[in-house]
Amino acid sequence: MNLVGISINHKTSPLELREALHLNHDEIVTFIPRLKESLFSEGVVISTCNRTEIFGFPKINEFNLSPIINELIQFKPVNGIQQEHFLKFFSCGAVRHIFSVASGIDSMIIGDSQILGQVKESFEISEDLDFAGTALRKIFDTAIKTGKRAIKETKIGEGAVTVSYAAVQVVEKIFSNLDKKSALVIGSGETGELAAVNLRDKNIGKLAVSNRTMERAEKLAEKVHGEIVPFQFLKEQLHNFDIIISATSSDNYIISFENIRSALKRRKNSPVVLMDIAVPRDIDPDVKKIENVFYHDMDSLKIIVDQNLQKRKDQVPLVQKIIIDEMIGFYGWLNTLDVVPTIKTMRSFFEEIRNDELEKIKNKVSKEDFLKIEDMTRRMMGRILHNPTVKLREFAETGANIKEVAAHTMILKELFNLGEVPLNGNEFNEDEHKEDRVNEKE
Amino acid sequence: MLQPIDSLNILLPILYCLVFAAYLYDFFNEKKFVNNSKRIILFVTLFLHLFYLISRTIEFDHPPITSKFEIFSIIAFSISFSYFILELLTDIRGTGAFIILFSLVFQIASSLFIEHNFVVPEVLRNRLLGLHVINALLGYSGITISAVYGLLFILLFKNLKANKFGLIFNRLPSLEILEKLSFYSAVIGFILLTAAIIIGIIWLPNAFPNFSYFDPKLIGTFFVWIVYGIGILRKLLGNFYGKKVIVFSLIGFVFAIMSLIVTNTLGKTFHSFY
Repeated sequence: MNLVGISINHKTSPLELREALHLNHDEIVTFIPRLKESLFSEGVVISTCNRTEIFGFPKINEFNLSPIINELIQFKPVNGIQQEHFLKFFSCGAVRHIFSVASGIDSMIIGDSQILGQVKESFEISEDLDFAGTALRKIFDTAIKTGKRAIKETKIGEGAVTVSYAAVQVVEKIFSNLDKKSALVIGSGETGELAAVNLRDKNIGKLAVSNRTMERAEKLAEKVHGEIVPFQFLKEQLHNFDIIISATSSDNYIISFENIRSALKRRKNSPVVLMDIAVPRDIDPDVKKIENVFYHDMDSLKIIVDQNLQKRKDQVPLVQKIIIDEMIGFYGWLNTLDVVPTIKTMRSFFEEIRNDELEKIKNKVSKEDFLKIEDMTRRMMGRILHNPTVKLREFAETGANIKEVAAHTMILKELFNLGEVPLNGNEFNEDEHKEDRVNEKE
Repeated sequence: MLQPIDSLNILLPILYCLVFAAYLYDFFNEKKFVNNSKRIILFVTLFLHLFYLISRTIEFDHPPITSKFEIFSIIAFSISFSYFILELLTDIRGTGAFIILFSLVFQIASSLFIEHNFVVPEVLRNRLLGLHVINALLGYSGITISAVYGLLFILLFKNLKANKFGLIFNRLPSLEILEKLSFYSAVIGFILLTAAIIIGIIWLPNAFPNFSYFDPKLIGTFFVWIVYGIGILRKLLGNFYGKKVIVFSLIGFVFAIMSLIVTNTLGKTFHSFY
């Protein structure tokens, strides 16, 4: 199989280059016709914030991948980008890489849950633009299946791997029902926004946002359907919240020991969780000395993130086993692409002989007898061809020994003088394949 | 009937050991197969244990409350049974090892030293006494479970305060759930203890001519009842939550244990059946 591919990703290049080369949906739609015209008969372009990859079947059997890279750079010129920033893949290596990407083990954050959807979306663009054939469809269907199996059968996607999500995980170890709790997120930057979204996703009962710039607070509050606590009244409102997450860029503490002590008094000592995910810190760390105050900062939350990342790394060998498993299945299917035309030609060959012979006796026997003979010969052919058909397909589907498959196919062709049959996977018709299986069962 | 009783006497500690091992293994390793099968092993153990207790009652013609070691077996059963009900109601399965351990210890002690008591004082054959003792034992099981969950709460509380995110953090349910489990166990224990006290007050004066309301065991049990009663009332009134509830439950448990030790060893009581 002559699948080829290139990849620029977090392992090969710095963030600036990856960001600059990133192709959005419209750019991919514009870029694909160029690839179709000059390089590939079918292909897929995957582009996320951490990788841009192109895979496809070249129009000509050439293993120089530089033209693909050049085409990409010409389409989206980026200063400083070089051939060395790209990984190159061929055949089996290309399939394996696609499966690894889909299962999340090639992601910057191992087990990233978004990549599977992104791979699926990329393939759908190719399909919409008529740039994907049977073989490529099978590769990506299997890749998506691999990704789903990795999530279902391993713990590759489990545990918080961002500080914001780790904060929510700790909160869940203190409170059981977040839908009965109230939370305040201070700061509406990227980290604050992520924390607010995570809390909203966990069905927090009441969510409020506070920020120095009112406009930004309003924007975030609208996004997470939360309330706004004006920044100047922040300290007077602290007692109303069970969870306070602070992520501002302030240089000094915005919440002092005294603020929390008086808030706790007003709460009648009901427990409060403080998550300080700002650098430098927003909350005086001495507050952790107060009973019923659970205070966590970046350092403590990072411990959870690191533990979970290590746990995910430990799952990689299990995912790799799934990848190998799916590759065996895929190559088994691929081998049948060579075998199916041979089987079809063999059956046609015997069918022709049967028809010839039937034609010869058609006028020598009665109509009733002819129908009986026709039926008998059809069944006879079915029985004669059943075993070779099943055996040949079995050889192909196990995919264990391609040479053995080729040898059996060759012997069959020579024995019955079947001549050349098309072996190009691209000409394979899935519907005919299904029909064959149905016939065989019958 | 003696043959199956003797066989179960040997089998029960082994079964409790198996249940404890399954819960402990699941606490450390979290395997789906063990997670599902441990409850079944616990159910089978409880079923056989109940059969054992009923068999003893029928065979010896008295409830199994005539010696310390018969009582130990009932305690083992009632602790595990209470936990089983709690697990079914809450579907929180990660804490079993800490509770089943108590059943294992009591059942081992019982199986090692239990004797066949055919001849017992007539008062011990009374059904009301059986009900009184079983209620009291189930009540004490409830407060024991409450104390275990209390200890788990304190453990997790300290881990969270000290930013320790190890096994305790990963495998125990949230503080709020541990608090609820501890509180509900205490409430169930309190209700059963109340029932035991009521039955006792009605029946004891008739059964024992030397009955006295100033009996140390009665006073000790009453104080335990008062401690738990105050704690539960304050929690229900909304004055208590979090660590305070747990500390109260632990104080109650320590008080109950001290009361049992003192009244059983130091004080003179009519309230001793063996």
